[in-house]
Amino acid sequence: MKNIIEVKNLTKEYKNLKAIDDLSFEVHEGEILGLLGPNGSGKSTTINCILSLLKFEKGTIQIFGRPMAPNAYDTKREIGVVFQDVAVFEELTVEENIDYFCGLYVNDKSLRKQYVTDAIELVGLNEFKKFYPKQLSGGLLRRLNIACGIAHKPKLIFLDEPTVAVDPQSRNNILDGIEQLREKGATIIYTTHYMEEVEILCDRVIILDKGKVIASGSPEELKELANMEEKVSVEIETITEKQLEEIKKLKNVDEVHYHNQNLIVIYKKGKNNLITLIDYLGKERVLYDKIYSERPTLNDVFLELTGKELRD
Amino acid sequence: MTVFKTYLKILNKNKFLVILYTVILVFFAAFNIENNDNGTNFVAEKPDILIVNQDEDNDITSHFIQYIEKNSTVKKVKETEEAHNDALFYRDVNYIIYIPKNFGNDFLEGKNPKLEIKSTGDYQASLAEILVNRYWNVANIYRNVTEEEEQLLTLINTTLEKDTIVEVTSKLDTESFSKATMFYNFANYSILAGCVFIICFMISSFQEKKVKSRIMVSSMEYRKFNRQLLLSNGLFAFALWLCYVILSIVLVGNVMLTSRGLFLILNSFIFTCSALTLALLIGNLVHNKEAMNGIVNVIALGSSFLCGAFVPTQFLPDFVLKIAHILPSYYYIYNNELIASLEHIDLENLQPIFINMGMLLLFAFIFIVITNIVTKRKNR
Repeated sequence: MKNIIEVKNLTKEYKNLKAIDDLSFEVHEGEILGLLGPNGSGKSTTINCILSLLKFEKGTIQIFGRPMAPNAYDTKREIGVVFQDVAVFEELTVEENIDYFCGLYVNDKSLRKQYVTDAIELVGLNEFKKFYPKQLSGGLLRRLNIACGIAHKPKLIFLDEPTVAVDPQSRNNILDGIEQLREKGATIIYTTHYMEEVEILCDRVIILDKGKVIASGSPEELKELANMEEKVSVEIETITEKQLEEIKKLKNVDEVHYHNQNLIVIYKKGKNNLITLIDYLGKERVLYDKIYSERPTLNDVFLELTGKELRD
Repeated sequence: MTVFKTYLKILNKNKFLVILYTVILVFFAAFNIENNDNGTNFVAEKPDILIVNQDEDNDITSHFIQYIEKNSTVKKVKETEEAHNDALFYRDVNYIIYIPKNFGNDFLEGKNPKLEIKSTGDYQASLAEILVNRYWNVANIYRNVTEEEEQLLTLINTTLEKDTIVEVTSKLDTESFSKATMFYNFANYSILAGCVFIICFMISSFQEKKVKSRIMVSSMEYRKFNRQLLLSNGLFAFALWLCYVILSIVLVGNVMLTSRGLFLILNSFIFTCSALTLALLIGNLVHNKEAMNGIVNVIALGSSFLCGAFVPTQFLPDFVLKIAHILPSYYYIYNNELIASLEHIDLENLQPIFINMGMLLLFAFIFIVITNIVTKRKNR
């Protein structure tokens, strides 16, 4: 598979702090790569180094097989960036904003007009194209921000937390838009805090912590890294200490917690774990209400690998 | 062109303030032009004089009274000392002449009698004193020439009726030019306020950190972007200056197309260049759009007051003028005044004007150097 981005031994330091520590990874053509990590893990610094917005001490970065540099304008022409913060002109309408940012890449007026229309269509801002940014809700502003970054139809798109503080309707719209971009052949690097988005969108995930890759692979591959098979939650009004001890001794059980009338049983591996538990509760005549069974999430993986939550 | 077109769109959204500064300029200029009293039409003033004649009917005394009546406004007041003093106090009269008994005869006999005088001491009283002295000085001269009273009066008459003709040799249209100078002095505020506000606003819009990041990652060369932004700011400043030049021609008239008028225009152009560079410096230092109005007031209003755009420099205290030396506006307004008093266009007269223009260009150069230092430090 063709590599669109190749990062090798990237190191970035701020005084005595290593923001990125010997980081290497590739991004394949047509994939959506999720960059996961808590605040300060080095996600944004990595993107800024790739985009030549930051100088770095060591390493090489190649995009489309060419070295990336501040003056690599031919390479930049094929790149779209959606920053975490909304970056638009307050004095211009939605349409004028998209036209201006598209105009930084596309000189042909009629082509640009078409691109602007397509971008407005993609993010669902047709009804708002004559609105000014201050007239838009937070979600609509985020959509405008995306449209400004991708209007010139780039082959490589960086999306830095595009759904932060966005209402569910706008989030769905944004995620649909990203899917459409992938279908049209764009390669996307997606950073987020939201694991569910990564699981829905990303073909591959790189988990960063303290500027290092601590795990990478498809979401399913990463979940395999978690040292648990499933987590079962049971709503139980009362249960004795003795019964909790006996549950702990059931096959494959790793941990048992009872808190706020909620029994949580974590299984390491194995099959038929839920049936075994239900059988035990029935035999002991323990009254239970609802039962939930969950597969490990990327957050669980991250928790296991680093000892802290993704959103810490 | 993308940057220039967007610049125009944003400018269009902020046109109200540019129009406001222009309206302020036109309003104040038109108001002052209408009330301008700097003309050179001289009208002889007549003092108010009270004559208390205690002399008997005498030809030379009567002749003197006729002369005073002809050249002043002779008032009548009740003949008491208190009434006379009140008339002087309330400025009903400026000068009281008491002609004592036998004054005429005593004069003709060469006794040099004295008139009694009371005066308010103001400039109109001085005019009255000049009239009285003039008459008796002439009379004294001719008294030695002839002994005949009738001939003496004829000689006095002939001499006193000779008017002095004052011919103004200057070809300056002082009144029109005073209006033009006033307009361009006021333009100091409008040019500074317009340039500083709009250019700072534009720089803070285009160089806003997040928007700038988009430009940095785009395929547009950053230098090209900066060139387009600089060119847009330059064109705006030029358009603003041109607009004010046209306004000055409309308001003041053809005097603007004389050589002195063209010097005023040239001076304002150089000042606009200086204002542009100052605005670029401030724009690179301050990115807070909310602070713009305050900055405009401090820069434009402050320097206009300190340097005499609103109040003529001769009314400003020395220490204010000393402070004003560090501002470009001082050299611009000082130059306007020099151009206004420029009678002959030769190297000697033009030298101080060119020196002030050089000072304005030096300010522009200093602002450019500081802007470059600030920009380089920011980009590190």
